[in-house]
Amino acid sequence: MKRKLSDAGDQPPVSTPKRRRTALEQSNSALNGHAPSGDASYELPPSARGQSTPKKANGVSATPLQQSGLKTPTHKSKARGLFATPTKPKSAIAATPSRVKNADRSARKKSARVLFEQDEDASWDGSERLAEEILNGDEPDTEKAGQDLAESIEPEGAEEAPEKGVKQPKRRAGRPKGARNKRSPTPEGELPAHERYFFQNRAGPVKTSNATLNKVPLLTHEEYFEKLGQYDDPCKEEKEYLQSLHHRSFPQWAFEFNEGFNICLFGYGSKRKLMDQFAEWIYNYHLSATTTPTIVMVNGYTPGISIRSIFATIVTAVMGDDAPSKLGAQPTEVLELLQSALKSHEEPVTVLINSIDAPPLRRAANQALLARLAATPLIRLLVTADTPNFPVMWDISLRDQLNLVFHDCTTFLPFSAEVDVVEEVNALLGRKGRRVGGKDGVGFVLKSLPENARNLYRLLLTELITLLDDGHQSDDESAETAGKAGDETGIEFRLLYQKATEEFVASSEMMFRTLLKEFHDHQMITSRMDASGMEILGVPLSRDEMEGVLEDLVLG
Amino acid sequence: MDTDGLNDALGLSNDKSQTLGAYIYQPPKHGKSTGERPSKRRKVLSTTSRDKRADRQHFVPLLNGDEKAESVQLRYDTYQELWSKQENKIQDILEDVDSGVLMDVLSFIRSTSPQTCNGCIPTALVTVGSNVSSLSRLLSRLNGQLISTEEGSVVVLESGDAPNLKTTLKNIIRATVTNTDGNDGYQKFLIDRAGPRLLGYDLDLLHDYVQRKGTKKLVLALRDSEAFDPGLLTDLLSLFKSWLDRIPFTVLLGISTSVELFEGRLPRSCVALLQGKHFEVQEAGNCVNRIYETIQADLNTSLWLGRNVTSTLFENTSDYFQSPEAFSRMVKYAYMSHFFANPLAVLLANPDSTVLTQSKLCKAIRNLPSFRMLCEDLIEEGFTKQARDMLEDDEYLIQETPKYLDANQQRMQKMFQAVRVVHACLQYTQSAKKPNVSDLSVRALSGELPESTIVEEMFATAKTLDSDKLDKLLVRLQGIMISPEVDAIQEELSTLLDRCSESGPLRSGYNINSTVTKTTVVQQRIRLSKGQADLSEQAVEYTNIVDRVIALLQVHLTETLINPQNLFLHEAFLFDLRNPLKETFAPRPRFATERALATPFDYLLSSSDITMTGVSAKQPATAVLYQLYLDSGALVNVHDLWQAFYGVFETEEAGGCDDRVVMSLFYGALSELKAFGVIKNSRKKTDHLAKSAWMGL
Repeated sequence: MKRKLSDAGDQPPVSTPKRRRTALEQSNSALNGHAPSGDASYELPPSARGQSTPKKANGVSATPLQQSGLKTPTHKSKARGLFATPTKPKSAIAATPSRVKNADRSARKKSARVLFEQDEDASWDGSERLAEEILNGDEPDTEKAGQDLAESIEPEGAEEAPEKGVKQPKRRAGRPKGARNKRSPTPEGELPAHERYFFQNRAGPVKTSNATLNKVPLLTHEEYFEKLGQYDDPCKEEKEYLQSLHHRSFPQWAFEFNEGFNICLFGYGSKRKLMDQFAEWIYNYHLSATTTPTIVMVNGYTPGISIRSIFATIVTAVMGDDAPSKLGAQPTEVLELLQSALKSHEEPVTVLINSIDAPPLRRAANQALLARLAATPLIRLLVTADTPNFPVMWDISLRDQLNLVFHDCTTFLPFSAEVDVVEEVNALLGRKGRRVGGKDGVGFVLKSLPENARNLYRLLLTELITLLDDGHQSDDESAETAGKAGDETGIEFRLLYQKATEEFVASSEMMFRTLLKEFHDHQMITSRMDASGMEILGVPLSRDEMEGVLEDLVLG
Repeated sequence: MDTDGLNDALGLSNDKSQTLGAYIYQPPKHGKSTGERPSKRRKVLSTTSRDKRADRQHFVPLLNGDEKAESVQLRYDTYQELWSKQENKIQDILEDVDSGVLMDVLSFIRSTSPQTCNGCIPTALVTVGSNVSSLSRLLSRLNGQLISTEEGSVVVLESGDAPNLKTTLKNIIRATVTNTDGNDGYQKFLIDRAGPRLLGYDLDLLHDYVQRKGTKKLVLALRDSEAFDPGLLTDLLSLFKSWLDRIPFTVLLGISTSVELFEGRLPRSCVALLQGKHFEVQEAGNCVNRIYETIQADLNTSLWLGRNVTSTLFENTSDYFQSPEAFSRMVKYAYMSHFFANPLAVLLANPDSTVLTQSKLCKAIRNLPSFRMLCEDLIEEGFTKQARDMLEDDEYLIQETPKYLDANQQRMQKMFQAVRVVHACLQYTQSAKKPNVSDLSVRALSGELPESTIVEEMFATAKTLDSDKLDKLLVRLQGIMISPEVDAIQEELSTLLDRCSESGPLRSGYNINSTVTKTTVVQQRIRLSKGQADLSEQAVEYTNIVDRVIALLQVHLTETLINPQNLFLHEAFLFDLRNPLKETFAPRPRFATERALATPFDYLLSSSDITMTGVSAKQPATAVLYQLYLDSGALVNVHDLWQAFYGVFETEEAGGCDDRVVMSLFYGALSELKAFGVIKNSRKKTDHLAKSAWMGL
């Protein structure tokens, strides 16, 4: 729909890329916030003389609210069809009901039962393995049957990948250990969601390969940004088109604001850019009015942002120079000040909050305060939410205060400002120590430290490794312990001090602390309080790295 | 790669605004838009006269942007007019619903004092159930009442205001003072007092204030009492108790569970401090039904909500415990949607033909399914000329359309009148489960009511009504149906009743009491035979009247209960799109995110003609990773995941594929999945991730 928005003020340039669906777009509505919904079909009235009434006769006006620009496939089945694992054509078997096939089939059924009935305590014995092999014996058939199931979807494909690609990046020599184990986590065919859950969570030992990322050099911040810059996004045009669709909703959002609703945008992708554009749009939309509109932007993802600072910014925006120099320490005080200031205010205040569900704002107390802000007359609140489960932040009374209308604004843009990518991934992989540069970094720092400090670090590492070894022996769950990084196990502060004095590394606690501070500064040690209030010291390195550093220390 | 390009690719703006927590927006003055902005300004200046209107205009021209400005404005004005009428009605209902409890609570507050409560704190316990919003409504009205009579005021306290005793007291004192004197008053109040300066949480301040103002009742309302820390509440109440001789506290507790449960949470010593009364606020459901009835069945209504909208509205109310306010907001949104996006809504404004003379609008009308049906009807009935004119002559069409609209709107009004008739009759016939107006409306709007079992049963029972009940029913019907026939029947009935007033209520021939079972012994066998008892003359007469009533009702209902979807122009006066409402008020964000990631081309329409089967490097990285993730088990090896991810990109881009670039994409995707909370670090094995969300569950 090529709506001409020129009358409504200064619109952002809406580029309508030539698409084959322009004809369909004729029926677009202005209310397209709800765009990619599955069930947006317009119901034709059951006509008495249905035959003569063409089904889709409704043109421009008949379906004013029909579907918006995103001509998404509305049928779920169709949508799924894109990536569906095609179900096995049964007819292939049914057509040739040979005896062998039948026997195979019943064996398969039986083995499926074995797998199914196996309970958690049951030991992992041969029968299961056999059962599995029978089940998986199916697979060659499946592939022969001409299923072009994208191989890479299957995790076997993942394990096969090393075979295909000679120029694999730093792959481990030889087959991964688990490669022979053919139990696929991908169930055959389309399973309903709950079945899939039980399938993927069935009992039995974990059957993933033992490959680790040790041989794969991880990215640093610099490299991450450098390499990302070289990537050429294949969907750039589509993303821009999506963005332009959201632009068209701006007048609608303004209308909703006018009618006293607050707006919440959700969906996958960063909506920060969209917010910026909307802010600019409002700014220009009201430009002809005598006063400039008051718009406050809030970035909820900023670490350490406080509700009070948000309120204080709004107060300054509203009162300008009249704002009292002392606003009060409690957010409620600032809010009440704001509310009383707004009583004599005429122009509405637009508050745009990026990522209202970001960790700094996520707490219930913060959300309650924001809801009170939203319920204030003259405050127009537009918030964006990124996580899939954000509505659970609000109970009914908060929802009532917030008075939100929701729009799906999927943008597919990266969360580049919201998420610190490298840091997050390091945390996810349990490599917090990456910050100091791992083993090499620690080694480098140690080289520049005096003898005493090096000795202390050696002592610390020796103790930790001994502790880890002890834990390894006593704990029968070896996998559990091995997975724990060095910073999980720790040595008590007193104990280490005692050892240090015994070894003549430090003569006084003062000195000991000075040495430790140096390590702290370089983030080479971690310190935490345990349940009894004792300080526990640890090292943010994996066990291998610890051993490496220790080796260097002893040899060097 | 220069930094500008990188930032562009990442969507980062070059200024520092993205790292600021909160800031006042200033439009960017970067180089790119300098070319655009002045030209825009110029346009604004040159068309000042037009711009003034554009400034007021909240709607966008429809019909491909060709809609006339007057028509756009008319749509907006009509919306304002229609909705403000409806809103007033809703407001009246809400006030009416509350007024009962309000009066009770108010009289309680006025009549009680510590002396009447044996020295305890007078307490009003208000259970609100799911109807959360009603309490704040109640409190603000209470506050208004008390302030206007200068008796005192109401201070509302929420659990968020009460982290500890000091802050709570401070908040109470500040709220009390600002409630009447405003924020400046509070500041002044703190400073302008003799003697040493008191701290903000000293109840002496409040004592001072009460004395100055001569406050007789200071109502302290805890909106969500259950959420308060019981220990804090105990401290607070015991403090109030000790100040009760100086400050006239009355406590009002909003309870959403039950009084017993609330009492159970408090220590007995604390409960002993309170003495009071229990009030109950009406459940939201009744209120919502009343609102719906008023909006739809009122005689002045000109826009109706269709079946789909109605069922969505009631679904939301019951599933999400929506308050009546939220309900009326949804109705409002339905009105907004209709006028914002439907160019035909302009017809509701009864505009003169000059506004309507737009070829596009005529085209739009002709494209309506209901127009097609109308034309078919016309031809079937032989009005070929008329049908042709409607199709070809714009002027004729514009002349005829308002007439049809008027007539059909009247039929809608009659339909809802009939619904009310059915509802009224059901009050007399149905004893057990009485369907409310909204249920009946949904059926009526889908055209199912005349054939429904409800109506059939209604007629069956109506036949057996005795004269007293029928009399009442007729009186009731007179109020709803304006028909001389009803009056006539009513008159006849009353004359009949006058004649035989002493014999008790008359029964019709259909009544079970008028059939008699005869027992005769024939050849030593008992024979039962049913037969009509001999009816008295009056009874025969009465049966006649009953028959007439039934016939009248039947004719009336079949005439009026039409299927609104068959009416010409129903698109203009009947809003029946489930979707903007459902998606805007009950969104499914998880579904949206999962869909975007699992099938990204639902959103990203590909311009190229690649057929998409399975994951490919053409998709956004996060989507690729998510699909791999979907196929993995509950525990994922990061290394293997990375290998698979790399495999996807490797196969697509022959040769020119930098593994570090892919790695950076992998990083980005992984961090996003983590931010969504679908993966977390697993302690079970090294370099493994645990899956924490299953799609579709």
